[in-house]
Amino acid sequence: MNQMGFYFDQTRCIGCYTCSVACKDWHNIPEKVNWRQIKVLEDGKFPNLYLAYLSSSCYHCKEPPCIKVCPVGAIKKREKDGIVIVESSKCLGNEECDSKCLKACPYDIPQFGPERGGKMQKCDFCLERLEKGQQTICVEACPMFALDAGPLDELKDKYGDVVEAEGFKYFEKFKPSILHKPKLKNLD
Amino acid sequence: MGNRGEGIFERISWDEALNEVANKIKEIKQKHGNSAILLVPGGGNQGMLHGIIPHALMLHQIGGYTRMWGAPSYEGALFASMATYGTMMTGNAREDLLNSKLIIMWGWNPANTIWDPGTSLWLAKAREQGIKIVSIDPIFTDSAAVLADEWIPIRPGTDTAALIAISYVIISENLHDMDFIKNYTIGFEKFRDYVLGLEDDQPKTPEWAEEITMISAETIRNLAREYAINKPAALIAGWGPARTAFGEQYSRAANVLCTITGNIGINGGYAAGFMRSYYSRERILTGSKKKSGPFKPDDETPKRPRLQDNPVDFGAAPREESLYKLKGGTNPANTRIHYNDYYNAILKGCKGGYPTDIKMAYIAGTNRLNQFPNVNKGVKALKSLDFIVIYEQFMTPTAQLADIVLPVNTFMERNDVAVPWLGAPYYIYLNKAIDSLYESKSDLEICKELSKKLDIEQSLLDLPEEQILKLFTAPRKDIKSYNKMKRDGYFKVKVDEPFIAFKDQIEDFEKNPFPTLSGKIEIYCEHIAEKNNPLMPPIPKYLTHDEHYDSPIAKKYSLQLLTPHNKRRTHSSLHNIPWLEEIEPHAVWINPVDASKRNINNGDLVDIFNDRGRMRIPAKVTERIIPGAVCVYQGAWYNPDKDGVDLGGCANILTKDVYSPGGAFPLNSSLVEIELSPNNKLEEIQ
Repeated sequence: MNQMGFYFDQTRCIGCYTCSVACKDWHNIPEKVNWRQIKVLEDGKFPNLYLAYLSSSCYHCKEPPCIKVCPVGAIKKREKDGIVIVESSKCLGNEECDSKCLKACPYDIPQFGPERGGKMQKCDFCLERLEKGQQTICVEACPMFALDAGPLDELKDKYGDVVEAEGFKYFEKFKPSILHKPKLKNLD
Repeated sequence: MGNRGEGIFERISWDEALNEVANKIKEIKQKHGNSAILLVPGGGNQGMLHGIIPHALMLHQIGGYTRMWGAPSYEGALFASMATYGTMMTGNAREDLLNSKLIIMWGWNPANTIWDPGTSLWLAKAREQGIKIVSIDPIFTDSAAVLADEWIPIRPGTDTAALIAISYVIISENLHDMDFIKNYTIGFEKFRDYVLGLEDDQPKTPEWAEEITMISAETIRNLAREYAINKPAALIAGWGPARTAFGEQYSRAANVLCTITGNIGINGGYAAGFMRSYYSRERILTGSKKKSGPFKPDDETPKRPRLQDNPVDFGAAPREESLYKLKGGTNPANTRIHYNDYYNAILKGCKGGYPTDIKMAYIAGTNRLNQFPNVNKGVKALKSLDFIVIYEQFMTPTAQLADIVLPVNTFMERNDVAVPWLGAPYYIYLNKAIDSLYESKSDLEICKELSKKLDIEQSLLDLPEEQILKLFTAPRKDIKSYNKMKRDGYFKVKVDEPFIAFKDQIEDFEKNPFPTLSGKIEIYCEHIAEKNNPLMPPIPKYLTHDEHYDSPIAKKYSLQLLTPHNKRRTHSSLHNIPWLEEIEPHAVWINPVDASKRNINNGDLVDIFNDRGRMRIPAKVTERIIPGAVCVYQGAWYNPDKDGVDLGGCANILTKDVYSPGGAFPLNSSLVEIELSPNNKLEEIQ
């Protein structure tokens, strides 16, 4: 399997949310649902402050915990590229199964929306674009070139093998397909 | 329908609406003259052709209108740029940042305000190359946090004091570039005497500035030395600190600091100033390049108003306080009323000493009520008019007050050409993507019809859209192929090397003087000195004002209000998009020190108020703002409850409708107080 993954340069992210909004626009995602989320990380006391952003979407884990807990098998991992996809129509909805996938995911990725019975949806690695040989829309949109996506091995050759970042913990048992350039905290 | 501002509208046909508009214009023109018609233009929904342009051209043909001077964004920076350098073209190409040894982002937050699409990326690259970047800002902005190595918080409105103290260190330690000063500038001695205290017995030492700015004297000294020694260094002076009372002084002080260190006209340096760089944005209406420099006696003056001239102003003497001897600014020197005085002008008219009695407002491309200071006075003023027509896509707070709202289409529903805002070597062709939605029409289509109803017999606007665009772009010789631009959607201009402002002047001064009256950089500006106004000194000076931290009213309203741009909208455009609202819910930023004094916790619903108004929004208690300041990002839509309390959080409910002699809008110079709202229930504002 040629596992696909993401790279995120946290030192470059200016928190413009372009990746997240471009994703919403491309996939036509409703309000209060975000396939790509931005976490704002603020720390320190005036005037010694730290601020960073973490842009995160489904990490298409090698061992996805969401797949194991889904009672109806709505989530699958593709053989050829390891992309984790959800068949929303199969999903029972957030109330009936008590959002088991969301609870299993340490990164709060599965999205149901605010309405009752909302079906799970999430990043599909822009499959439609991928099939046309195009880059994911979040990577294309980032004005800071802080995001990249592609075969994880190739990303490692380009960016090294650091996996953790501020606000992101790497779980060995899930093996999320992500590389980071972390923004270090240097609060004196 | 209903009373003005009640928001009750009735749908009528285009023909009926335009008949009504034409009849009102004719009636008011006949009864009161053209100057009773106020054109309220804005930069929204604007291209080279669409937006305000066709409206202005049409109204010129019926004898003109009253217009005003001053741009809230940059008037202080513009005045200072013209006074110091005689031009707005003072910026270097962004890629040149990589040649700097030190970059200072003074009150400049390009991570949120963009300043050309590649700016943040070039700054990130510079930092990754090891170039030190310092941010001076009352807020720990995204730029300070992500692009800078060091953040120096400063008390709002005291930037001039800090810059002058930096000059003090540089001059008193003999770190200034005396050769440069001798060759290219005038008036250094007068500035030196003020800085050293020879003029007023107050040396502007770092200790003097520490008390004012809340920056330690040591930090000021270090920054001054770093800036003077690490040459070339780029001091980029943002426009925010110039949007203050006497904001011209801040911009002038920044320009002078760049000058005395000789960081001008060289790679890696920066002149501050207005910061426009490569630019071919010749004035659209004149169709010819408006050269900078002093007016000369043989400069052609037309005998009659041309298509591009507003007949109401035509031939009038220039405003005394304007820099009317210089070409190349954005303000016609003969307009009388400042934009931040227009509510008074409407309310008081001729009896109050204003040049005209305004009877109607013709508003296009702007949510003006929301985006200009003192909204409550604005409501009163606009309600007092006989007639208001507005061109809009949305029912904005300004549109709410109109008699007729005309649905104008968007840039996606017509063809147009866009020019980079601040100057970069490219053009954008906005190909029409879809037909106009519903019954909306383009500005051009509307003006074509309205022109007929106004009995205009022949007009440029009679031509088809494409032909007008070709006419408008023709004077721009750098568009080598209109067809290629249209086909690709953009045209990149080939430039030999990145633009460096004043390179020609520095390399060959004899051939290329600066476009000022003296031909040199004016540290002391004679043209300003002629005005003999102590509030507009010929050298940059630190001045206090009646809503400064040290003013008597600060005892009652002790917090300085900042109203910067927010990343999730452009001014008030896009504020009504739920996707973007999610990104950063609107709130007032307050430091925990100030919040705890008032028993305010993060997320509480609070009232922010002064004598001009009151708003009710949630509090964001954050370390990211200096104590003593609060921040309400401008652009949220005014939404008053029955008591007039603004539940929308429009910053301009609190700002002041006055202006500095050079034209600066004091958008960041309002004092306010904050308290928990009476019920502290967030549902109140939802």
